[in-house]
Amino acid sequence: MEFLRMQKWSLALALAATSLSAPAIAQPAPAATQKLHVDMQYFTLPNGLKVVLAKDTIAPTVTIAVYYGIGFRVEPRERTGFAHLFEHLMFQGSKHAPKGVFDKTVTNAGGINNGSTRFDFTNYYEVLPSSALDRMLWLEADRMANPVIDQAVLENQQGVVGNEVKVNVLNQPYSTWPWIDLPMLANTNWYNSHNFYGDLKEIEAATVPDAKSFFEAFYRPSNAVLVVAGDLDYAATRAAIEKYFAPISKKPAVVQPDISEPRQTAEKYKSRVDALAPKPGYAAGYHVPERLTPEWYAMGLIDQILVQGDDSRLYTKLVQQTGIAGEIGGGINGDLGNMFNYRGPMLWSFSFTHDPTHTPAQITKAVDEVIEGIRAKPVTAVELARAKTKMRSDLYGEIDGGGRVGLVDLLAVHALFDNDPQAINRIEEGFAKVTPALIQKTAQEYLRKTNRSVYVVEPGAKGAAQGGK
Amino acid sequence: MKRVLLASLLAIAAATPALAQDFPPPPPVGEPKPFKLPATETFSLPNGMQVTLVPYGIAPKVVVSLRVRAGNVTEGDATWLADLTAAMMKEGAAGRSAGELATTAASMGGDLNVGAGQQATQITMNVLSEFAPAAVQLIGHVAIRPDLPASELARVKANLGRQLSVALSQPGTLADVALARTIYGPNHPYGRVVPSAAQLSGYTIDQIKAFHAGQFGAKRAHLYIAGKFDAAAVKVSIAKAFGGWASGPDPLKLDAPHQAGPRVILIDRPDAPQTTLRLSFDAANAGTDADIPQRVTNSLLGGAFSSRITTNIRETKGYTYSPGSGVAFNPGDALWTFDADVTTNVTGAALTEVFKEIRRMQTEPAPEEESKGIRTYMAGLFAIQNSTSPSLVNTLATRDTLGLPGDWTDRYVPAVLAVDPAAMMASAKASYPLDKLVLVAVGDLKTVEPQLKALPELAKVPFQRVSVP
Repeated sequence: MEFLRMQKWSLALALAATSLSAPAIAQPAPAATQKLHVDMQYFTLPNGLKVVLAKDTIAPTVTIAVYYGIGFRVEPRERTGFAHLFEHLMFQGSKHAPKGVFDKTVTNAGGINNGSTRFDFTNYYEVLPSSALDRMLWLEADRMANPVIDQAVLENQQGVVGNEVKVNVLNQPYSTWPWIDLPMLANTNWYNSHNFYGDLKEIEAATVPDAKSFFEAFYRPSNAVLVVAGDLDYAATRAAIEKYFAPISKKPAVVQPDISEPRQTAEKYKSRVDALAPKPGYAAGYHVPERLTPEWYAMGLIDQILVQGDDSRLYTKLVQQTGIAGEIGGGINGDLGNMFNYRGPMLWSFSFTHDPTHTPAQITKAVDEVIEGIRAKPVTAVELARAKTKMRSDLYGEIDGGGRVGLVDLLAVHALFDNDPQAINRIEEGFAKVTPALIQKTAQEYLRKTNRSVYVVEPGAKGAAQGGK
Repeated sequence: MKRVLLASLLAIAAATPALAQDFPPPPPVGEPKPFKLPATETFSLPNGMQVTLVPYGIAPKVVVSLRVRAGNVTEGDATWLADLTAAMMKEGAAGRSAGELATTAASMGGDLNVGAGQQATQITMNVLSEFAPAAVQLIGHVAIRPDLPASELARVKANLGRQLSVALSQPGTLADVALARTIYGPNHPYGRVVPSAAQLSGYTIDQIKAFHAGQFGAKRAHLYIAGKFDAAAVKVSIAKAFGGWASGPDPLKLDAPHQAGPRVILIDRPDAPQTTLRLSFDAANAGTDADIPQRVTNSLLGGAFSSRITTNIRETKGYTYSPGSGVAFNPGDALWTFDADVTTNVTGAALTEVFKEIRRMQTEPAPEEESKGIRTYMAGLFAIQNSTSPSLVNTLATRDTLGLPGDWTDRYVPAVLAVDPAAMMASAKASYPLDKLVLVAVGDLKTVEPQLKALPELAKVPFQRVSVP
């Protein structure tokens, strides 16, 4: 029951043959002899809870995840940061497992757990010995059915989240740049463009009735997916899930707000002074094609060609040739996830710090030379093949990453957003179909200057080596 | 209109009937199944280089990682010369330019990563399985035949200078630099964490070439390969790539005496919303009889999320977001440190709770259930942490750097499970002598210093204000 099986990949082999015929080939051709295959079972309970089970033999552990379809861009107005605050509240105990029991159970069984809030979901996961699987399912079911939300836990977690904002934003150079600043600039729809970490005042103003209504509205079985991966027995795990989760009341599906963005038609630019930052920073973002379309797959490979890795065109130009930057970070949803785990509008972005010897205008000129290059000329077969190899290696790395967290994430988002976790076995096909012509067509529409937003940080700290006194 | 969404959520909440079903009782948690690390094969080349091969994992990927015992510890007072050398090693090797190296690595599905740490420089690639022999060759070229081109030096130094400047704008870096300087003294390699900007910009290409020529060699090198790979082909490749490497110097042996506390070191960061804290004590060296008991004791005190300190100052008091504690090991040296960022006006209150938890560990045996729980946690964590090839390589490399025996990784879990509450209490008494503490606080001193002065534990302790760098 291995989840990666050796198989022939006829489509990829055909592409490899094409690239071999290209006269300029200097690299070993990608030997695409293997294809991702995750073994899984997928079903939905009568109350609407989606369930994905994926068995493997890596280690005698299981990874359990519950993803709720409530992200920070779906949270109510006037309560910025509420989705994230609520994530914390879900760790504060449930009717049959008071505060502390959940975390203690995980630890004492020999496991780890965590949760996070992202654009379109809030997730909770545990990695622990498989001998604790049934107890964890029981605990997850109890907090899905009966979390404890009262004044004491709300106040406590307002303090904790306040400290999280202080440590990550208020007391840090660059703070919200670019991961919050750039979406706020590039998007026009409030849902996509508000401060999703939350205004401290609004976090502190949240009340118990607000929290309870938030739970009732979004934390329901029909708005969730449960994933269990690892050392499991399919039939026994399904039986346990039915026992603990099936009794939770059925409620109608959540109606998501309209989070669509209009086509951007003019370049945007913004700058701010960061009192703690010692060096300027440059970030640019472009709206990307809709998820799972041929153009979106092409955009994933454009990301590989332009910004991922030291062979990428922007790295070569900005780091190696001009010395503007030392390193470049970026991607589709690059600051808060990856190109798979969101739904709705998204940016492809990149960012770096630099010395004040280069002005934003000079940097934009260098960036444009790279971007216009991929818009003007088709990529070579060799470069496209290399991008596909990098993508495949990244995907295997994600799937085979620590604690199966990456695997579980891919399964969960494809179940939650697309009702189709098997789609992860077809990801490679989507990329394999991309041609140089599709890359160029996609670049021409989505890498337009008028689809771009640039957010610049100006250093406010005195001196290059600003330290403490 | 701003309250409309919240109001409608409340209406939904009111309409939902309370759960009528009885919740089933919690199922038991069984004993974890044993986890065994995969078998490894270790051998030496005639020139003294060590090689460890670990067939592991399911995805068709492989990690190839060379660790050379040339790091900050061997750079003398030329702080960050090792970092600069590592960065320059990516700028070309065996006649291939930086761009050609990057493109070659990318076509294998991975990046070429070169980085210096305190003990070693590592050259690592994480590639698709079929490229394992080719990755060995590339790493061999970079390790043995780097071009170290003078033409790239100014740019690479500027990049490191920018990293230094950004690091020094973060309160955590200031605290770490001040702590190391206090414990080890400014003239010991462990006490010299960062160079001055002028020192960094003054390094010459001749210094870099001399560092590579003098500090790199086969007797200081250990190559780890983990993942799916063809062992026979890899061995041939290793002999070809590394067989001709000069033996070079033996690994450096270095004493690291600690400067005794008690001392309080303060760094002013006017109006900072949080105080960044480090509280340190000398720790037992890795592999000594006291080592494993101190690790278990640390986990219960502050090392795990469910630890006493985290439960107290985060989950009960809400003073902080992510407190933690742990032991940092070097060959012949170990230091225990608690760290946290706490809201400024509760700095004293948070430390009071930390001291209280330390005393409780020293005076009361841990209840059996809590003690068993933390042992199980550590055993489980070992399985989770070593379930990927890159993390397993790090575990083995750390073991080897610290001079621990080959079977240390097999003995770790049984040793952890054997630590009883009496041993933990004894460890707490030996490990956390409050009258010898070293405390570093980075924050708004006009508010923080009076709070610290009011603590009975710090009443007779000398306070000193310092600046970094």
